Amino acid sequence: MNMLIRQARVVDPYQQLDAIMDVHIADGNIQAIAAELNIADAQVIEAKGQILCPNFTDLLAYLRQPGNSQKGTIASETRAAASAGFGTLLPSPDTQPASDSTAVLELVQDRAKQAGYCQVLPIGALTQGLKSTHLSNMLGLNKAGAVAFSNAGYDITDNTVLLRCYEYAATYKLKIFVQARDAALSHGHMHDGILATQLGLNGIPVIAETLAISRHLQMMQHTGVSCHFQQLSSAAGVEMLRQAKAQGLAISADVDLAHLCYTEQQVQGYSSQYHVQPPLRHESDRQALIAGLADGTIDAIVSAHQPHEAAAKQAPFADTATGMAIYDIFMPLLLSLAAETDLSLLQLTAALSKQPRTLLGLEANGLTLGAVANLCLIDPNLSWQLTSTAQQSQGANQCLQNNSLTGRVTLTLQHGKATWQAHD
Amino acid sequence: MNLPPSAQLQLTETGELRHFLSIDGLPKTLLERILDTANSFVVVGNQEVKKVPLLRGKTVVNLFFENSTRTRSTFELAAQRLSADVLNLDINTSATSKGESLLDTLRNLRAMHSDMFVVRHSQSGAAHFIAQQVTPNVAIINAGDGRHAHPTQAMLDMLTIYRHKASFDQLKVAIVGDILHSRVARDQVHALTTLGCQDVRLIGPNTLLPTAAEDLGVTTYNDLDKGLEDVDVIIMLRLQTERMDSAFLPSASEYYQAYGLTRQRLSKAKPDAIVMHPGPINRGIEIESEVADGKQSLILNQVGYGIAIRMAVMSMAMSGQMQQRQVMEASQ
Repeated sequence: MNMLIRQARVVDPYQQLDAIMDVHIADGNIQAIAAELNIADAQVIEAKGQILCPNFTDLLAYLRQPGNSQKGTIASETRAAASAGFGTLLPSPDTQPASDSTAVLELVQDRAKQAGYCQVLPIGALTQGLKSTHLSNMLGLNKAGAVAFSNAGYDITDNTVLLRCYEYAATYKLKIFVQARDAALSHGHMHDGILATQLGLNGIPVIAETLAISRHLQMMQHTGVSCHFQQLSSAAGVEMLRQAKAQGLAISADVDLAHLCYTEQQVQGYSSQYHVQPPLRHESDRQALIAGLADGTIDAIVSAHQPHEAAAKQAPFADTATGMAIYDIFMPLLLSLAAETDLSLLQLTAALSKQPRTLLGLEANGLTLGAVANLCLIDPNLSWQLTSTAQQSQGANQCLQNNSLTGRVTLTLQHGKATWQAHD
Repeated sequence: MNLPPSAQLQLTETGELRHFLSIDGLPKTLLERILDTANSFVVVGNQEVKKVPLLRGKTVVNLFFENSTRTRSTFELAAQRLSADVLNLDINTSATSKGESLLDTLRNLRAMHSDMFVVRHSQSGAAHFIAQQVTPNVAIINAGDGRHAHPTQAMLDMLTIYRHKASFDQLKVAIVGDILHSRVARDQVHALTTLGCQDVRLIGPNTLLPTAAEDLGVTTYNDLDKGLEDVDVIIMLRLQTERMDSAFLPSASEYYQAYGLTRQRLSKAKPDAIVMHPGPINRGIEIESEVADGKQSLILNQVGYGIAIRMAVMSMAMSGQMQQRQVMEASQ
């Protein structure tokens, strides 16, 4: 590959760079980056008006394999991820069987390699079968590629088991990913507010999150394990982590894009596409999540992409599966968030590349001279329709199906290879 | 028309009723029309020949995913008095227990070319879901979904008030008991506030009051004596005994001490206050027998009004549905 991307708006959080540049890529690497370049015989991409930034790293996505290929496959969902600008992703251990054996981890990584769209770094199951009773073979799983450990959406209610998990992980300096939610208080189906009252749905109160955060923080302090909190949903939760960070605790946190863009109001009319866990909350919670991202309390934005077959969402609200297939609308939503808030593109791309990579200790993927070309090119003004042919994810749970959308990734490079190119 | 999303699904483009799913968002004029129509049907119930031909040739399916003999019989009677053919399906004992999904059950029923489904289901939003799936061919009447809505029950309570009290805007109304789990209470609140009632009170312990209830435009009370002061209408709700097992309440006797409607407590209300209850009543848990059977109680009148309300709603929804069908056929 010998490619010259001309006059793109280069946004690189590694260098705090936001400027119009030409970028020359050859042999998989960035050969030159300057205000203006003239390279003979390079394939020229005129990128005026487009954004060029490091490709993204997703700390939470559900690839559904093994066990649920009716919802999505590793190939289909990593392709969808590449089309949203992702180059690296961490699939949830919530597969069937759970990612608690080297066999499953190998299968996931092999399938991802065969598909060739994204680097896939699995999250290992913290307990065997995610059943919250026996520790998984963390050391072995770590050797087999697990970069972190999590019990997915399943709360470990037995404090003895949780303490042992954390002590063991701390022994080997393994990273823990936590989805902080109290199991008993999370039995509802939407945010516990006036709309839940009106719709007659069981509410999930904010304390379902804050009680769990406080418990995990204490376990973490007691054991010295390193924790990353996933999918924060509430203002009170953000504030707890802000204080914990101020006290110097080695923690990090992420939020999923849907919680930055949507509130409980989306559930109006029993719209099951917005049935998610943790639930979409009040507008004041959404604003606090945005503020948390702006002031660094929240380090990363994740997709929490969860594809489903159509039938999983076709039932009375409480009987429908939770989760949203979001990769196909990720970029339009991200750009609308940038337009609506004070969050700059530098901040947003940092939360999608530099920050998640730093907290995992992954190599940098900025646009520096000689670096491997891990990039994505975004046309923020491109209008397109999310038709079934345009859709990349296998997930039928598309909340903006057939809508007109603005903004699209036009090119994703992973190790200098095009893993996605928009054709129009 | 600029309607809240909760109402859009229920009305035709010209504002006629085509499904009856919830009171939430329905305009006052429509509620008043339901009451007037039902009022005229109360008379039909007193005639020698009780039938009117409004639904002749139409098929009404009572689709009960949850047992309720009482509600089902009043719907059945209402449909028969409107001259419809009625089919009763108790689904909880047939298809869905064999693992068939609700959607598949509906697809099968749709093939029977029925005109109206009366739906009772344990999940909130089930009637909405069914209306979205079977529309535009079948009118859906919600006979209770989860803890969300039970609009015909709420409207029969409104008819009771309408026939026994002055206009709604002068009234103080207390709703007492398990508000949290009550599908009727939500629709009663929507109906009362829409019809102009300025003072609606929800009375119960915090475990049985829903989150942010005040945002519905009501006042909440924990103290029954205080809440009943000077009210014109008392609506008691049924207390399910399961609530004791799931830690909402300590015991039936303690509940009765705090929230049971006794003669002494009734004396806090206006002397001509009326007492209502959707039934079946738990004597000695929600209400003292002397009050339930006393002269201020309208509990038995409510049953008769229930048939009239259901006749009104079924005939109005069917006519809206027919209108919609004609519009659609004309546009094809």
